[in-house]
Order: sequence, then structure tokens, then C-alpha cells
Amino acid sequence: MSALGAIMYREGKIRATNLTFIFWDLFYPLGYLLVFGVGMTQAMGMKPLAIGVDYNAFFLAGVLGMASFGIASNTAWSFFMDRDNGIFYEMLTYPMRRSEYLMGKGLFNLLISIGQAIVTVVLAQLVLDVPVRWASMPLLAGAVFIGTAGWFFFYAIFALTIRRNDLFNTVTSVFYFILLFASSMFYPVEPLPSPLRELSWANPITWHVDVLRYATIGLGDPSRIWLEGAAFLGFTGACFAGALVALKRQ
Amino acid sequence: MSGHAIVVRDLVKTFKRRGQPEVRAVDGLTFSVGRGSIFGLLGPNGAGKTTTLKVLTTLLRPTSGEIAVEGFDPVKNPLEVRRRISVVIQESAAELFLSVVDNFATFGRFHGLSPDTIRARTEDVLDQFELRADAHRKVMDLSGGFKRRVQVAKVFMIDTPVVFLDEFSTGMDPILKRSVMARLRQEAARGRTIVLTTQILSEAEDLCDDILIMKGGRQAARGDIHTLKLLSGGLFEISVTFADAPREIESAMAAYRPLRIEVSQNTALITVRGEESSVLDMVAHLGRLGRVLRLEVSGASLEDIFIELTAAGRLEVS
Repeated sequence: MSALGAIMYREGKIRATNLTFIFWDLFYPLGYLLVFGVGMTQAMGMKPLAIGVDYNAFFLAGVLGMASFGIASNTAWSFFMDRDNGIFYEMLTYPMRRSEYLMGKGLFNLLISIGQAIVTVVLAQLVLDVPVRWASMPLLAGAVFIGTAGWFFFYAIFALTIRRNDLFNTVTSVFYFILLFASSMFYPVEPLPSPLRELSWANPITWHVDVLRYATIGLGDPSRIWLEGAAFLGFTGACFAGALVALKRQ
Repeated sequence: MSGHAIVVRDLVKTFKRRGQPEVRAVDGLTFSVGRGSIFGLLGPNGAGKTTTLKVLTTLLRPTSGEIAVEGFDPVKNPLEVRRRISVVIQESAAELFLSVVDNFATFGRFHGLSPDTIRARTEDVLDQFELRADAHRKVMDLSGGFKRRVQVAKVFMIDTPVVFLDEFSTGMDPILKRSVMARLRQEAARGRTIVLTTQILSEAEDLCDDILIMKGGRQAARGDIHTLKLLSGGLFEISVTFADAPREIESAMAAYRPLRIEVSQNTALITVRGEESSVLDMVAHLGRLGRVLRLEVSGASLEDIFIELTAAGRLEVS
């Protein structure tokens, strides 16, 4: 068995020890869409947005992006768990490259994020009548996969550099606050006030969510979407390189 | 080089911390380890043993020096080195959320074992390490000693030519420790090279064919146990049990300038350096202090040599 297979097997075994984890991972974006999306639509009496879609359809890509972001930060946090168990340093002596360790650790959870996206998108159409573009599902799968990987590598840099669990939690809280709200996750970027709008355009979450939105409901200018997709790929590559350097310094 | 599993030349490892002077954890260490031998790396805390082990096991990059593990450089070919080693690190290391057998299964998969081989070897180590009753319990529910068993047992799942054990017996009961030591001897006889660090010197004395004592990142002494004992240069240990311990024993022995006197109940343990005739005088003197029930005079133990070498200045050993 390859090193990648072995580490995926290990991650899968650990996840499978508690099915609540897997259930939560698979269904929480849907829950968010139902509670937050439907709640906002009903409670605020929201009409279709100026861009021509209703809020549930708009927010579908937001919850998928949020799920990628959340699963990535949880996976990166597991480096702390491995360190506390002592197994982290033992694993660094196993016959695998540091890059394989990093990719393998993310890979199992990337598959979970794909499952999560399928459940969310299918039930969003069945329950909320979101007009899903089924022809774009390969693009959606790719965007979920690359998105979760990018955010995992991003968080891995901090998880491997910061030695304190509590400090890492503070860092993730700050990123959640800034990156999620200064982005196109909850609302369109265009009407935002100037500094927030510029910040949102420079935010990789916006690039990721815009691609997810194009893939789910076809919203967005294709030329800009491809540009944002390319920028996010570059971001993923840079984060992978950064995480690898951090891992090699352990 | 073909007869050596490990070759280290002029190994230096320094650590720099902002605002603090550079620390030379390992300072020009040179040694080699023969294939199929049990090699002990000893030294007090901070001597550089664990740093040396981390360099050899690809966990740390050396500052300078040449290293070969089974012919491969851990810096240039870390993957080739990792394919040839198994490591029990000093800290407790186990997959806490997995059962004992799943710990063995994941470890086996990392080392490329087939599922059938994993099953067969799991059966073997469950018996050897007395883990059968706990085979399906999560490791997080086991005591510290049992977690250590799981960690050490993994080494016997695979056949890597070199095994590194950093304080392997921590938390093991004496019976299991003896069984593991016997197994280590068998593994060495089969050609595996065992490198161990330990603070329990009797363990090194029983197990190691070759011992390197480190102090301050350097070699303080090197050789097999008999060679090291020759270094003691007239070091003797006297154990004497009296019917009633005399009160004046320490003052009475002061003239012989003992290195150590420990009196416990009616027994005195005295370490002294001197000519044999002087030691015999001392024994006779002890006999005059009170009724002696038991008397034993022996050459220095590894512990005596260790204390002498690491507490005093560095000894050059040819």
C-alpha cells in the first residue's frame, strides 16, 4: 500500500471510530442552509436579490465554501491532536515523504467534503427548489476538492508553526471573522462599501465561493470566474509550499 | 563501511534561539555501529543522546558532519533511511482513538505489510506483549504502561534492519522488560541492529554489546562493558551488612577517601578507588566496627563508571 493510501486508511479509521463526526460533516452545511438561509429568507421577508436569484440559491455556494473552510481548519487542528498523542513525531519517521504526509492527511477529508457537497446540493434542489446546474457538477467537485485542499494547506501552515492549541484556536477565530464576512459568502460583493469591497475581491474565499456559485447556479461572468479559479489554484500551490516548509522544520 | 549499519563522523548539531547564545547539543561526535549489534547511547540529561537519535532518524538535520544509516545519508536520502528504520521515540506515541489491533494495522500499512502479514504478526505481538485481553480496547482507555507496550510492540511487527529505542522500558514491569530484552537479543542475533538510549544502566549492562557514553554533546567513553570497566581504574564497590549498624562508619571510613557511602538500615554501600591492598585493609577495618553478617566486594558497575565519567571531567579513551 502506498504512503498516501496508508495515511488515508489511518484518517478513515480515526474518523470511523465516531460516526457522529461523519454525520455532522456530511449534513452540517445543509443544516446551515436550512436554518440560516431559509430563516433569513422567511424572517426578513427577502425578495429575490438584485442579481436575479433568491437568497437560498445565492447562499448555497456560501455554505459549500463555509463547509470547505470548516473541514479544512478541523483537519489542520488534528496536527495538535497528533502532537499531543506523540504519534506526530513517530509518523515523521515512517517511510513516506513529508509531502505525502501532508497530502494524505488532507485527502480523506477532501473525499468527505465531496460527499458533503453532493448531499447539500441534491437536498437543496429537492427541499428548497434551488435551480442547480447539473451539467456543472464536475466543476463543482473540482472546486470543492481544490477549495478544501487550499484551506487545509493554509491552516496547516499555522497549525505546524504555532505550538499552542489555544493560540491556533484564536487565529482560526480571527480568520473566520475576517475572511468569511469580507467575502461573497453571505452577500454580493458589488454593493459593499469601498474598503470592504476591495478587501473582499482580494480574499481567496471570494474566489472560491464565486467558482462554487458559478458551478451550482451559473451565476457570474465566466471570464472572471476562470480568473478567480486560477488565482485560487495559485493560492493553493503557495499554501502547499508554505505548509511543506513548516512540516520540514518540525 | 559494509560491516556497519550506522556511521557517524564529526556530527555537530547546534540550536540557535533568538537573543540566546548558540547551544551545541552535539559537538563533533564520531562513532560507528556494527550490523547485528546492540548499541547503547548513554549519558546524563542534556548530553545529546536524543538529539543524536533524532538526526539519525531523519527528525532533525545536522549542522555538519557525515552520517550513513544502512549506507544512506538521512539528509540526502531521508526516505531510503526511513524505509530501513523503526523508531520508538521517548514520548508516549500511539493512536489513542484506535484499538490496539488497529494501531498495529495502521502501523503495518505504513510499512507496506499485506493484510495477511499484519494479522499474523499482530497475533505474535499480542502474545509477546500480553495485550490479548485488551486487543479491541481503544488505546486511550489503557494505562500508561500498556500504551508504552503498544508503542514498543509495533517495532516487532516489521523487519527493518535498524531499530532505534529511546528509553524503551519506561512504564514496563520487570517481567515484561526481561521478555522484551530477550526478544531484542533474538532480533540482534537475526542481524537487526538495535540502537538504544536508556537511563537504566543495568539495562544497558545486560543488553548492549557496545556502549557510548556522552557528556556535553561529546564522547566521554566508548567500548563494550568490559572495556568500560577497565576504565574504572581500581574502582571497587563494597556492600557490607552488620548485625547492628555501627554509628561511626562514615568517620571510620573517611581515611580511605570513599567516593560514596550510602547507609541504609544495617547495610552500607561504599564505592572507593584504590589499590587492592588498600581495599582489603578497608574490609578488615569494617570487620572491626561490628559483627558482619554479609560482605561483598565487586568491581565497579556501569553505574559507578557512568557517574564517574559524567560527573567528572571528560575522559579521552583510545
